Amino acid sequence: MTIVQPTGAGTSGRGSSSGLADVIDTILDKGLVIDAYVRVSLVGIELLTIDARIVVASVDTYLRFAEAVNRLDLSQTGNQKGLPELVEGMTESGSKTKAKGATQGLLDAAGEKIKGLTTGEDEEEFEEADEEREPAPRRRRRREE
Amino acid sequence: MPGSTGKRGTVRSDGPETDTHGTARHGTERAATARPKGPRPTRSRSREHRAPASATGTYVYGIIPSDVELTPDTRGVGDPPNVVELVRHKEIAALVSDILTDRPLGRPDDLVAHERLLDATATQVPVLPLRFGAVVTDTRAVVDELLAPHYDEFLTTLNELEGRAEYVVKGRYVERAVLREVLDEDPEIARLREAIRGRPEEATWDTRMRLGELINMSIEAKREADTEALIEAFDPLCVSVLVREPTHERDAVHVALLADTDRDPKIRKAVDEFGTRWAGRVELRLLGPLAPYDFVTT
Repeated sequence: MTIVQPTGAGTSGRGSSSGLADVIDTILDKGLVIDAYVRVSLVGIELLTIDARIVVASVDTYLRFAEAVNRLDLSQTGNQKGLPELVEGMTESGSKTKAKGATQGLLDAAGEKIKGLTTGEDEEEFEEADEEREPAPRRRRRREE
Repeated sequence: MPGSTGKRGTVRSDGPETDTHGTARHGTERAATARPKGPRPTRSRSREHRAPASATGTYVYGIIPSDVELTPDTRGVGDPPNVVELVRHKEIAALVSDILTDRPLGRPDDLVAHERLLDATATQVPVLPLRFGAVVTDTRAVVDELLAPHYDEFLTTLNELEGRAEYVVKGRYVERAVLREVLDEDPEIARLREAIRGRPEEATWDTRMRLGELINMSIEAKREADTEALIEAFDPLCVSVLVREPTHERDAVHVALLADTDRDPKIRKAVDEFGTRWAGRVELRLLGPLAPYDFVTT
């Protein structure tokens, strides 16, 4: 039996292929921990990226959601009932990609935290790989028999 | 998966060693228990024990049955990537490569190499994946401290994993769609949205925090319901199902499955069905077959 190492990613997907974010989700906090088996000969090696994690439910998350819903242009589906001020806000929410007018100042002030909102999906994936991590995942485990 | 059975039909868990203190020496153990079985694996790529050179160690990827051959060009972590080899002990073996211990580990290439090797392995044979970053002093330690003392446990688990692999279903809410859902469903969210319209963040800090928190709670509830629906559909197809913690605020589902690999087509079909059901609302992906990272316990 021979194991052939593929040149491409070892995964297939519906939509997009497995990226670095998927890898990080999988191999940094899952799998057997060698410390539990090997003690004497353990070699400590400096690991990069291990601390590159954030908490999902956080102040940053809340502010991002608030700003995202603030930017949301409901007129595209005609779903405007009960939102009379929408028209008034059109000048700033007309464009999905750029915040304008009154929000410009806070974008500058908030800097990186808000910046992610005005960037595309590609960069978002990159950010996720870099920093959007769960600190201590709990697992709901159902052991096989 | 082609070629995942047959040759290794002789793998048994009747090894007599119950010694968990690592006192048995590798050489005698292997000699004493060597027995005839199918096609004899060649050992050309199995290294002899050797003393550790300075500032190098042995990186361990995972544990597999020993009757396996690696292609000579198999590479792992490191810059440049080091050759992956097998350290065998009776019927199990460790996938290892040399590593310089005085350099930080964990570049994107290292992470990808670790998972790629294990996932490629998992398509052929059962594998016990180690968490990224497992380094011991040398190959002798791999046998004496890892493989030999835990031999029965590893062999039993490998047998249980025969013909099985992990899959991961990941779904992420489409932002616009999910925000519209929560606005429609929760009048309080719609009201708070109006309260911050066109107003600077500094002047609406508290309102924004409350709004964001409500949206987050609403999405959490959706995540729970959608995950439940997905698990219900996949449960009959799988040996085991495990909910992963969300790693993104718009995660809709994040579920690991352990399944017999002959269910592969049914799993893909089921994912496609959910993709259709949630079209425009959730971006759904299936990863796998993977090594069973979520289903091995220390």
